[in-house]
Amino acid sequence: MDYVSPATLTASTKPTGSLTLKGIRKQFQFKDRELKVLSGFDLNINPGEFVSIVGPSGCGKSTLLRLIAGLDDSYEGVITLDGQRVAGTSLERGLVFQDHRLFPWMTLEQNVALALTNRPLSKAAKAKLVAEHIALVGLKGFEKAWPHQLSGGMAQRAAIARALVNEPKVLLLDEPFGALDALTRVHLQTELQRIWLSSGATMIMITHDVEEAIYLGDRVVVMQANPGRIVHTVDVGLSHPRDRASPVLHRLKDEILAELTNPPVEASSVVPLRKDQDQ
Amino acid sequence: MKILKTQNLVWLLGLIPPVLFLLWWDHQAKQGGTNAHIYVSLAQIVGALRETFSSGELTGAYAASITRAFSGLFIGGILGTTVGALMGLFKPVEWALQPIYNSFRQVPILGWLPLIGLWFGSGDGSKLIIVALSAFYPTVLFTFEGLKQADTSLLDVSRVYRLTPWQSFWKVRWPAALLSIFTGLFQALAFTWISTIGVELLFASGFGLGSLMQSAQLQARLDIVVVCVLFVGLTGILLNTLIRQLSQRLLAWRSVRT
Repeated sequence: MDYVSPATLTASTKPTGSLTLKGIRKQFQFKDRELKVLSGFDLNINPGEFVSIVGPSGCGKSTLLRLIAGLDDSYEGVITLDGQRVAGTSLERGLVFQDHRLFPWMTLEQNVALALTNRPLSKAAKAKLVAEHIALVGLKGFEKAWPHQLSGGMAQRAAIARALVNEPKVLLLDEPFGALDALTRVHLQTELQRIWLSSGATMIMITHDVEEAIYLGDRVVVMQANPGRIVHTVDVGLSHPRDRASPVLHRLKDEILAELTNPPVEASSVVPLRKDQDQ
Repeated sequence: MKILKTQNLVWLLGLIPPVLFLLWWDHQAKQGGTNAHIYVSLAQIVGALRETFSSGELTGAYAASITRAFSGLFIGGILGTTVGALMGLFKPVEWALQPIYNSFRQVPILGWLPLIGLWFGSGDGSKLIIVALSAFYPTVLFTFEGLKQADTSLLDVSRVYRLTPWQSFWKVRWPAALLSIFTGLFQALAFTWISTIGVELLFASGFGLGSLMQSAQLQARLDIVVVCVLFVGLTGILLNTLIRQLSQRLLAWRSVRT
């Protein structure tokens, strides 16, 4: 329980990290055919909110995250962060990939420090931030380890530290635990919840795992494919940290799973499942 | 401690076949049968070693071969890395040089001997060209491929952290290429030793282990031939060990088995 004091990490003084997506459309050209990946995606995310996005493969979830990260600028619609239009990548928007993508020729410490390369900070200030964030993800003592020496779970923690070391307003997580074994995944979900609570950052997580989506998310956005769109949004309405055994979580999980495993339906014909929970 | 003992034993096991082979060899040499002239006794080999060593023949030949191999590695390695880097970094250079490189590479190194012999004679210059060529091919290939195979997923990371193209080159493309460049150089080192001996055997004039072997064979001095073979083999083992040690040191970040 050697948690780092959140005081050094929180940006809670000002309510930043509010993300707005309006009318996002994205298509890929496949020879003569046009493939609609996202069609008219609208979403407002509040500062400090945790939003999970679930949906079948090919519903455009990962594409959506790349657009928000600024890795892909060719789309219709508007994405704004705190009122500012998103263009290109920015240190305000962190991204954790499904595979850790640590640089194999750098130690854990150097990998985390990489994110600070172009920050106008002193060497000492950078070293302090790096050490704090390595401790935050529970990897103290592994600073000099090479990525190949880390387990899958440890490597993913390191990737989270690298993404958080810039203290981004928004952290985007693209199936961050998808490649991990079930036990490690459960453990890291709990850790991520703790990190989110202490960092105060807005987080958007893509996942295949409905249970993970509900356990972590303030809201769960359910998407469908062909074309990629939101079918509905579920307010989980439970405070954090959460109890995995909560009957509310289980009921929600069953409902969303039923929704996702049913044959695809037209977007317009879907009725929100839990009207009573809307505010 | 117990493991250490077992490893010592395993190492000893590896000594059994060569010792058996030597005993069999020595036995054959002493038989005096129809094939006795193609075997020489261990005593004769030791004698030849002493003889060539004290006359300076062996050390001179050895020094000549080693110098040739490393000069070839140096020249071929520098040229190869440069050409490979130009091809990997600049598309027009790649388009211009790739076809000719690929077709030249199809000719085995020693296949160039007759042509180079005709053009430049069979002196040290021609030998050096062949040896340098054997270092040139692998270094071009591995440098080029190393720079080409830039991992797009890691380049995405460098975009997320807003690295400049220059930073991205030094932190992503260059280290990724370095592994490949070293692999190429290590391969070149092994190739240069083989081609040095080969070219000395075929262009027998001048100094070198290969030349010494060739003239010993002509004089039916099988004992000297065996001494040369031993030195060629031992050097090969030494170079391999050197390569392994170097790559483990330089590329510690790789998941190598130690």
